[in-house]
Amino acid sequence: MKKVVRWWSRSQSLILLACLVLGAAGLVKLTQGTGLADLNRWLVWPFKGDGKVQQQLLDAQTQSLQQRIQELEAQNQSLKALLDLPSLPNRKKVAAPVLSRSADNWWNLLTLGKGSADGIKVDSVVMAPGGLVGRIMSVTPNTSRVLLVSDPNSQIGITVTRSRQVGILKGRSDRYGVLDFFEKNPDVKVKDSIVTSTLSSRFPPGVAMGRISELRLDKLPTPQAIVEFVAPLDKLEWVNVLVNG
Amino acid sequence: MYWSMAKPLRFWSRASLQRLNVAVLVGSVVLCAILQSNRLPGMVLLNTAPNWLLIWVVTWSATRSQFQGVIAGIALGWIQDGLTMAYPSHALGLGLAGFLTSRIDKQRFIEENFISASLLVFVMAMVVEVIAAGQFALGRAWMLQDIWPHLQRVALSSAIISSLWTPVVYFPLNNWWEKFRKLMDRY
Repeated sequence: MKKVVRWWSRSQSLILLACLVLGAAGLVKLTQGTGLADLNRWLVWPFKGDGKVQQQLLDAQTQSLQQRIQELEAQNQSLKALLDLPSLPNRKKVAAPVLSRSADNWWNLLTLGKGSADGIKVDSVVMAPGGLVGRIMSVTPNTSRVLLVSDPNSQIGITVTRSRQVGILKGRSDRYGVLDFFEKNPDVKVKDSIVTSTLSSRFPPGVAMGRISELRLDKLPTPQAIVEFVAPLDKLEWVNVLVNG
Repeated sequence: MYWSMAKPLRFWSRASLQRLNVAVLVGSVVLCAILQSNRLPGMVLLNTAPNWLLIWVVTWSATRSQFQGVIAGIALGWIQDGLTMAYPSHALGLGLAGFLTSRIDKQRFIEENFISASLLVFVMAMVVEVIAAGQFALGRAWMLQDIWPHLQRVALSSAIISSLWTPVVYFPLNNWWEKFRKLMDRY
């Protein structure tokens, strides 16, 4: 007993300090680094340039395409009305700067400089010039975290535009993704472009994803293809988040 | 209190010196945490950035007890969890790195300077990535056949880029701690 008392009086300050340190670090972990993310936002924001200029550039690029899309969407809607299919709700775009990237070498994440204050929610879809980039994993009032499509934990149902072949696209931590087909002999060629599937509930259908760059049709258990993402995932500076409303 | 800040450190009171030490500790950890999730130009090798929190843990543990090394490793691991994903926890890898670093018999095997610190970081970066790979394999978050090639690439590039940037953290922090110890010895 005396030994324990002596040991405690000798090392109590050390143990209390350790508890304090672990408590503080645990707080950071539990709050998902909210304080740090906000501090980072405050530090990095001045170097992010003017969002409006960037947005104008993006808009200029997309405006010509949008006019064509509007035309096609109108046609599409009227055709769908003929088939009695439900139409999609309109979604608003929020332009958000990319503040930082994953803090380890295994997850493929982005931290954005906008959060729930701008209407971003968990599972909101994130787009960039070139197509789909990922979806929101977590939000704080002023920041949000994106799981990129290049992450191996990201799985997206896709369609090959030329043949309407369906499959599942998974990331592999670089510019390429692995596409698994459901069928034994999929009708697919190199350079075929792929879009998000109409069957997916998480992602809006028909959004550009990438192009097929390599075929591995004899792969078991399912035939595979390697897909190159169109969006430059490692160079993103600004992205658009789709929010309802 | 504030007017005393302008005085040379050797005239500072014991309490203000300790406060300054805590400020340096917390400040350096926050700086490392901020750097950890940013990719600055010139700091990226094969899409891999230096593991700043690991560098901090190695710097801290190099001159301290095993208990202190492990606690620091776990604390910074939890901070890294907050910065990315809490699963799988980074505390295991960093805690082990802190433990191993503080265990190495510095007097016998390596001299205490920033070259040996870089060497330690090189080895510990590999340890951390191997632990992470093991966690991903056990947790079935990744396919086994994807883990091995990714580990090979990431472990090597992380080890190289982290050890190259080690002196940036090690040199000022170690200098400060040596100075702090000398100043405190007078009391």
